Amino acid sequence: MTTILETKNLIKTFKTGDVETRVLKGISLSVHRGEFLAITGRSGAGKSTLLYQMSLLDEPTSGEIIIEGRNTHEMNEKEKMKFRLFKFGYVFQDYALLPELTAIENVTLPLLMEKYAMPMAHALAERALKDVGLGHRLHSLPSQLSGGEQQRVSIARAIAEKPEILFADEPTANLDRESSQSILQMFVELNKKGQTIIMVTHEEEYQKLAERVIQIDDGKIVATETN
Amino acid sequence: MKILLNLRVGWYLAVRQIRRSSKWSNGLIIFVMLLTFLNLVVVTGFLVGIVDGISNLFRAQETGDVVITAPKDKNYIEHSQQIISFLETLPQIEDMSARYSAGAQLEANYKERANANDKPNQTGTSIVGIDPEDEARFSDLPSFIGEGTYFQPNDYDAILVGAQLIDRYAFGGDIPGLTPLKNVYPGTILRMSVNGIEREVVVRGIITTTANSPLAARVFMPEAELRQLIGRDDYNVNQIALRLKSGVDAEQFRDLLIRSGINQTAVVQTFEQAIPSGVAEIRSTFEQMGNAISSVGLVVAAITIFIVIFINALTRRKYIGILKGIGISGSAIEIAYVFQSIFYAFIGSGIGLAILYGFLVPYVAKHPIVLPISNTIIVAPLSETLIRVALLVTATIIAGYIPARMIVKKNTLDSILGRN
Repeated sequence: MTTILETKNLIKTFKTGDVETRVLKGISLSVHRGEFLAITGRSGAGKSTLLYQMSLLDEPTSGEIIIEGRNTHEMNEKEKMKFRLFKFGYVFQDYALLPELTAIENVTLPLLMEKYAMPMAHALAERALKDVGLGHRLHSLPSQLSGGEQQRVSIARAIAEKPEILFADEPTANLDRESSQSILQMFVELNKKGQTIIMVTHEEEYQKLAERVIQIDDGKIVATETN
Repeated sequence: MKILLNLRVGWYLAVRQIRRSSKWSNGLIIFVMLLTFLNLVVVTGFLVGIVDGISNLFRAQETGDVVITAPKDKNYIEHSQQIISFLETLPQIEDMSARYSAGAQLEANYKERANANDKPNQTGTSIVGIDPEDEARFSDLPSFIGEGTYFQPNDYDAILVGAQLIDRYAFGGDIPGLTPLKNVYPGTILRMSVNGIEREVVVRGIITTTANSPLAARVFMPEAELRQLIGRDDYNVNQIALRLKSGVDAEQFRDLLIRSGINQTAVVQTFEQAIPSGVAEIRSTFEQMGNAISSVGLVVAAITIFIVIFINALTRRKYIGILKGIGISGSAIEIAYVFQSIFYAFIGSGIGLAILYGFLVPYVAKHPIVLPISNTIIVAPLSETLIRVALLVTATIIAGYIPARMIVKKNTLDSILGRN
C-alpha cells in the first residue's frame, strides 16, 4: 500500500497574549491510499487541529506534512490553494454551504475554479448530487434543505471531482441518528470505491466503520486500532 | 488566463449574491447610488444652468443666434438699410429686429420738485428704438409687460420702462450707485433727455423680468421717434438681431454674412461671441463650485459603498473562509465584490440617467426654475455626464475592492472557525 499522506513530529502551538498552548505535541502518522482513517478523542484533544494541519487549512508550528511525496512546508499559499482545490475534498461539521447558492451551484462553483466549462461543471455537479441521493433537490437553497440533505450537498461538493483525500470534520455532529447513519454509509461506499477518507469523530459507533482508528489525547496519539 | 478564470468565478458568485440578497438592501444601496449620481450631475448642472439661464435670456431677448452691431469706431451700422434688405432675402432667418439705441436721462416727479437744490428723481439708462411688431415677434416683449400695456399702433411720446429702473422693483431702491425712479406707474409722465433734447413721455408699460434680463434696465420707444431724437435720418441702426430657423448652424450663417461683405461696415457675431465676457467667467466659477460640491458627494458615495461591502464581507467572513478553504482563489472572491459594486454603481447611474434625460432636463428646460437671478435650467451635456458616471464607477470599484481584500486576506481557518 502506498502512503498518500504522512506527518512527522507535527507540533501546533496557539499563542494568546503571553500564554502559549501546545495543542499538537509531535504527531507522526501515515495514511495509505484508499484508507478510511478515523481520528477520535475527547473534546479539546486536538483531533480537529490535526485534521486542519493535514488538510492544509492551517500551518503547523513545526514538523512536516508530506502529501504524495511533496513536503508541504516548501509550498507557498497559492500552491496549497491548488492542492486544496484539485486534490482534497472537505466535509465540515456545519456543512459550510454558501447560503445564496442552490445545491447544484454550491457543487458547481469549485468545478468552475478547476477550469471546467459551465456545461461540464454543471453535469458533474448534477451527477455528484444524484450520487448522494439529491437528484430531486438540485435547485433548492441550503435554507430549504434539512441538515442531512445539506451535509449530502457538502459531500457532493467534496467528491464531485474525485479528490485524492476526503477530509471530514465531525460530519455527523449536527445530524440526527438516521441522517448520520446515512452519511456514514455514504463514506463507506466511497471508501469501497477507493476513496481515501480521513474523518474526525467523537462518536464510538461510527469509528467502527473506519479501517483504522487513532485516538488522540492531549495532543498525542495514545492508541491505534485497526477494524 | 488566470484572470479570466477569476473573472468567471467572481461573476458567477456576484450574480447569485446580488440576485438572492435582500431586495430592500439592494434597493437602498441603489438609491444611495442614484442620489450620488444626481448630486454629481444635477448640482453642477443646476449651478451652470443659473448662468446659462442668463445667457438664454440674452439670446432670446437681445442678440438672437447671430447679431450684427456697429464697429467700435462707429455709433451705428453704415448702410443698414441695404444690409436689412439683403437679410430679408435669406431663407435661414426666422425673425429679425433692427434697433436704434442711445443714452438717455429719465426724470420723474420733476413738476413736484419745489427746490432746485433738491436731488432730482432721475436715472440714466439706455433707450432702444424698436419696430414694435418686429420686436414683439423677436423677443416676445409684450409678454413681459407686468404693468400697463405694450405699444399701440401710432403710439407717440410713449415708452416702456424696465422694472430695474423703478424703485419698487429694483432691490428696494437702496443699492448705492443705483438711482431708480420713484412713483412711476403706467400713465406717469417722465421727462426724457436724449442727445440734449428734452421731451415729456408717458410710461405706457413696465417690463417685469428677472434682474439679469437685458430688458430689465432698458427703456423702449418706437423707432421713428428715437430716430428723430438722435437725428438718424439715414436710417442706420445700432444693432440687428437675427433668430435663425431650427437646424441652421449659427457659425456657418455668420461666415456666410462675413463672406457677403457685411463685416466691412459692421461686426458680425454669433450669440456665443456676443455674450458679455463676465458671463463665461461666472459660468466657469459656478462649474468649479459644482465640481467641488460633487466631489464631496463622490467621497460620501465611496465611503457608503465601502461600509456596505465591508459589513457584507465581514458578516460573510465565514463563507469567504469556506470559499478559500475549498480552493476558490482570493482574487475571484474579491472580483465578486467588485462586480457587486459595479452593479450598484451602474444601476444607480442608469436610473439616474433615465431620470435626468427622460424627465429632469426636458422638464426644467420647458419650465425653468424661476430664481431672482435667472430662469434656471439644468445643463448636463451627455459627454460630461458619462465622465461623471465613470468617476462614480471607479470610486465604487475601489470602495468595493478594499474591504473585500481586507477580509479575504485574513487567515482561512480563522475565518471558517470565526476566530479573531
